[in-house]
Amino acid sequence: MSWSGKGRRVITLLAFVFPAFALYALFVLAPAFGGAWYSFTNWNGYRPSYDWVGLANYVEALRDDRYFRQSILFTLRYVACMVVLQNVIALGLALLVESRRRTKAFFRTIFFMPNMISMIVGGFIWMFLFTRVLPAIAAKSGLTFLDQSWIGDPRYSFLAILILSLWGGAGYLMIIYIAALQSVPAVLKEAAAIDGAGVFGVFRHVTLRMIAPAATIGVFLTLNSSFKVFDAVFALTGGGPGRATQVIALNIFEEAFRGSYRFGYASAKSMILFLIVFVITLVQLWIMKRREVEA
Amino acid sequence: MRTFSVMPARLVWHALSLALLAAAAAFVLVPLVLALLNSLKTDGEILNDILALPVDPRFDNYATAFRKTEFPRNLWNTIVVAAIGVGGIVVCASLAGYKLSRTPGMLSRVLFGLFVFSMLVPFHSIMIPLTRIAKELEIQGGTVGLGVIYIGIGVPMAVFLYHGFVKSVPREVEESAIIDGCGELALFARVVFPLLAPITATVAILNLLWIWNDFLLPLLMLTNSKAYTLLLSTNMLFGEYGNHDWASILAALIMTMAPAIVFYLLLQRHIMRGIAEGAVKG
Repeated sequence: MSWSGKGRRVITLLAFVFPAFALYALFVLAPAFGGAWYSFTNWNGYRPSYDWVGLANYVEALRDDRYFRQSILFTLRYVACMVVLQNVIALGLALLVESRRRTKAFFRTIFFMPNMISMIVGGFIWMFLFTRVLPAIAAKSGLTFLDQSWIGDPRYSFLAILILSLWGGAGYLMIIYIAALQSVPAVLKEAAAIDGAGVFGVFRHVTLRMIAPAATIGVFLTLNSSFKVFDAVFALTGGGPGRATQVIALNIFEEAFRGSYRFGYASAKSMILFLIVFVITLVQLWIMKRREVEA
Repeated sequence: MRTFSVMPARLVWHALSLALLAAAAAFVLVPLVLALLNSLKTDGEILNDILALPVDPRFDNYATAFRKTEFPRNLWNTIVVAAIGVGGIVVCASLAGYKLSRTPGMLSRVLFGLFVFSMLVPFHSIMIPLTRIAKELEIQGGTVGLGVIYIGIGVPMAVFLYHGFVKSVPREVEESAIIDGCGELALFARVVFPLLAPITATVAILNLLWIWNDFLLPLLMLTNSKAYTLLLSTNMLFGEYGNHDWASILAALIMTMAPAIVFYLLLQRHIMRGIAEGAVKG
């Protein structure tokens, strides 16, 4: 008991934080800095030694690696579609579900259910649909547009990946929009209606304004998760045909663990992914902060 | 025609919204229902009429899948990983989040900032060195090691949630307990931790779902098929058969997702609240 009050407080703090921090440092901080370091080397996972190669990996990834550039473009296209479609669908579902009285809980339960299922399992189930069920329906009913090479043709496999992702993800955002809708005070809507606003007027001027913060969250959650998408693509197309649907995360995974084992080079790619996600998050924080000040 | 003209717009809207909801619900459920129906058929029936009800529902496919995926063993593996991961995250993060929230000063802020920083780092940016660290520590390949790695990766978000929640817990209780001569750790275990129950439920649910459905980390870590989780064995089954043996693959898929669906139907209110909280604060 000879410690001063302050010293004792520091010791207790460190003791309480230690278990969490030690594991976090070992399994997140160390590999994060390790990855940054390796990205400047030619380490290949086998050789014990490696050399410092400066920015060579970054230059190669962005200038010479056609497949990596392709995967960035493909991911951007996927992200753009997901941000718009997922948020519009989720908000639409939230509005529809909230307009119900007795069936509200029932529909909410159904729409959120795919969120409980791993996208690996979801991906295999949808592969069954795309390769077996849709062709069978097309043959029976004559709806020939269903009989496409959903997995084998890049144009359609992009659509297939979108359908799977929306199936699995829209319910999650719907929950966030429902929470926001429930927090819109009924008084505000009534006041607007008394002032002569129609159904759509109330929606535009009251509801949409009040759920703007939820929309910000929804957009950034989608941005974040879509840039990192892996499971859905891995299960459904495996990045194929060829590398036509390879997303960034899959490109990194294959570079590191399938074939070349160029860990240093793959680390440089993963740092590029980190920078993309980092910038998005900074923009998100900046927008949210600004909105808080305004409000 | 008269009936149409007096039909209030409200009723039309009511019918339209119900139709839209029903269509969306069908879109969500049909894949699951078709997977379930066809898992009860023979391969021949699947080939003949994929949309028909099974003529004579059979569980052969489940028996095959049960054996091929070594279901009981892999279910147990998944439970071990999830229990270590979720238990560890709750214990470590509640201790850290509580103390960080209650201690003012520079050191506390820096430590908290370090935890928050990692929420910016995508898993793909740490996975390569992580496999090496796991190898060096000789924890690659086993379920226990995998569970411990999950603690390290899951702890930042949980610390963040506990940190925020503790601010809303009044200090008076702790202060009176200190006067009574209660030690720090005993104080935490007996007085503080029970008060954190609501956020503990959120943290546990979010992390259980994450670990249960996570695929890439086990894929990188579990090199020995004896340690496979449900998802890994399902994935292997798929690779083994290509697209041929759909009957038993579908049965395996149904068995893999069944625990999560049951969990969801039992606890959906808590799950949805936890998800909404986690998203808004994270």
